[in-house]
Amino acid sequence: MSTGFDAQNPPFDRLTQQEVEELRAATDIGYFTPGETIVASGRPSDFLHVVIKGAVEARDGEQLQGVLGPRDSFDSRALVHGAAGEDFVAAEETLCFLVPRATVQGLIARNAGFAAFFYADVSRKLEAFSDARKAEGGMESVLRSRVRDAMHGRSIFIDASATIEQAGHAMREGNSNAAFVRDGARIGVVTGMNLAKAAVLKRLPLETPVREVTHFDVVAVDEDDFLFEALLSMTRHGKRRLAVRSGGGFAGFLEDIDLLGRFAGNSQLIPGRIDRARGLDELAVAAREIQDQVERLHRQGMKVEVIAEITSDLNRRLFVRLFELVAPPSIREQGCLILMGSEGRGEQTVRTDQDNGLLLAGPVPEGELAAFREGFSGALDGFGFPPCPGNVMVRNPLWSQTAEGMVRQLRHWVMERTPEAAMNIAIFLDGVALTGRMALLAETKAELFAMMRGEAVVLGRFALLIESFATPSLGVLGTLMASVGVADDAIDIKKAGIFPIVHGVRTMALEKGITATATAERMEALVEGRSFDPGFGRDVVNALRVFMAYRLTTQLEAVRRGSVEGEALLRPSRMTAVDRDILRDSLRVVRQFREVIAARFRTSAF
Amino acid sequence: MIDRVKRLFWRAALADHSYLFLFDPPPEDEAISLDCETTGLDTSTDEILAVAAVPVVKGRILTSQRFEAIVKPEVAPRAESIKVHRLRARDVEAGRPMREVLPALLRFIGSRPLLGYYIDFDVRMLDRYAKELLQVHLPNPRIEVSSLYYDRKYGKAPPGTTIDLRFASMLADLGIPALEQHIAVNDAVMAAMAWLQLRDMAARGERLKRERRRDATAAPLGA
Repeated sequence: MSTGFDAQNPPFDRLTQQEVEELRAATDIGYFTPGETIVASGRPSDFLHVVIKGAVEARDGEQLQGVLGPRDSFDSRALVHGAAGEDFVAAEETLCFLVPRATVQGLIARNAGFAAFFYADVSRKLEAFSDARKAEGGMESVLRSRVRDAMHGRSIFIDASATIEQAGHAMREGNSNAAFVRDGARIGVVTGMNLAKAAVLKRLPLETPVREVTHFDVVAVDEDDFLFEALLSMTRHGKRRLAVRSGGGFAGFLEDIDLLGRFAGNSQLIPGRIDRARGLDELAVAAREIQDQVERLHRQGMKVEVIAEITSDLNRRLFVRLFELVAPPSIREQGCLILMGSEGRGEQTVRTDQDNGLLLAGPVPEGELAAFREGFSGALDGFGFPPCPGNVMVRNPLWSQTAEGMVRQLRHWVMERTPEAAMNIAIFLDGVALTGRMALLAETKAELFAMMRGEAVVLGRFALLIESFATPSLGVLGTLMASVGVADDAIDIKKAGIFPIVHGVRTMALEKGITATATAERMEALVEGRSFDPGFGRDVVNALRVFMAYRLTTQLEAVRRGSVEGEALLRPSRMTAVDRDILRDSLRVVRQFREVIAARFRTSAF
Repeated sequence: MIDRVKRLFWRAALADHSYLFLFDPPPEDEAISLDCETTGLDTSTDEILAVAAVPVVKGRILTSQRFEAIVKPEVAPRAESIKVHRLRARDVEAGRPMREVLPALLRFIGSRPLLGYYIDFDVRMLDRYAKELLQVHLPNPRIEVSSLYYDRKYGKAPPGTTIDLRFASMLADLGIPALEQHIAVNDAVMAAMAWLQLRDMAARGERLKRERRRDATAAPLGA
């Protein structure tokens, strides 16, 4: 007999019918008057509370952390670990289901999916969360399938001394368009196209040893690799065919055609299109394809990092090709194209704006530079990359100048000690060299690290940026707005979650002279250098992952709406209880992290 | 006063002294939310088909300890009542006769107050069986949820106020999610929820807002 307990409400949806019945049979209902503390911080709880009606505030001392509404549950920490992380106080007349602790613990012991909800460790919870995400939309099979499942055909081996004629016959008999070539210890690959070109275009005699037309820089994946890793590899290397390793040798080939049926996308084809583009109009087509790709991959449930990696890879190729097409010889000779901001960190998921610049080893003709600045940024405008609101673009002479000038500029910013200057330093610090004189950027950054060394006050000023936006408490706004009838409770996750983490880690990287630009890599270097607690480091990076995952979703929505307005806004009221719980945990990590940064750089002194 | 006299009289007239516990002083802050599903609304001829009793102890609705029974009536339920409670002849066929259910129910209830929505009806239904089978009355104090609601909502309302005491309206007004109605245990749980909230509001002197008249009577504009 039901008493209104909704078993479809996560995490209870992971229970079997029998487990649901067991839970229902043991569940009571409690009433709480406004202002009543239901679970006190640091105290255990005899029940898991699931809100039926009303509102419950999660409070950390004076600070309101969140407001729970119907279908939300609390508090897993109090229940499983014997101490609630916050005070839970009824804000209205509130009714809750009371699920006894013993019942929940019994279910946790038996049901791993249900148990995941109760992990104390944010990282484990988040992992369980992304696993659950993967299962959505029936794409599980694609993501779980391995190279072994998709490849077909037997592998053909030819000796390098065989003639190209023999190679051709062997391939036809094996019904394969490619073969492995054994040349002593090394193994290469020859394709039907290689043979055809040799015979037709180069007019090589048919007796030519196949070694001559074989390429030995084989791009390979392991047969146990996941298919999406193969897709990533194809995209990165611009290959349509990968060799498949098995044990110590090669087992065959994986071709893009083997993937096409599984992945709706065609990202492995885009690099070729970019590289072949002979004009801006052809490049524009490829740019549009990158955009479509993001959405397609997301719909298939691909992990955000993988999408970010693919997109970032493709965008970089695009910029390089554009540079080649637009830059005059003088700039190609002297220049280093750099990507900055989130693009530089490789944490961009859907392109938002242009964050790029140019460093020059020496002066170039003023007219050519002016034409290039406009040509490059103008082309990106045309591809649909919105101009950077902070004007961090090649078009801006501040961001496209000689390395010498940039060092002067950086020194000036360091002295200036304004938030704007600090932000500029941050943007530059995230820069990666894309093409041209790559060493130029590393040299300039080395100057920056030298400037900052031992400058506690300067670093403190820099760290202070983290206080630009307060971390909101989930749902405070929501209840306020809802109570006055405006049902809007949006959280800007870029400001609330992504920026504080990115900037905090960036500040520490600046202090320690860490050259990596991706937040996860910087954190890894910090942990390795014993500058950061490994467990908390993992939580911080995982929290960033969560924000990025949500960000991608909101960005995609914004793209669909055709407006970038509110592209980072998240509406907790539209999220499931589990999502909200994860978001709450992630925001808590951000808050702790802010405190760590504040203590370390003594930002309160400013 | 009259109630006290009645209780004394019933206590004296109690034929079976094993039911004396019904007259014990009620335990502190405990009540029973009671609901019966019946074949109809005539307490002298209709029959009980299902009964549910849910303890409410110190602000908690103990659904895990509820009493629930399907009752096999003397006469099979008629079509129009089946539409309400959806207990068909063959459902109640599996039930137990009231003479078996009632003693267990009375022991479960004990001397605790009975609460419900139009609780008088449920008690009158039970009383008829109690008198027939055990020669006892249910002397328990009664808590009428609809009258508590009236106090919070319409007490001191100006004359002419449209009064709506329907169960569903009351639940909606209190923000209590509607469970499927006319299942005995659900009705009992919902009445208990309403009672806890109304009792708390009364203790805090809080009242429910009344809508303006025009809201209640606004006619569609046909636009």
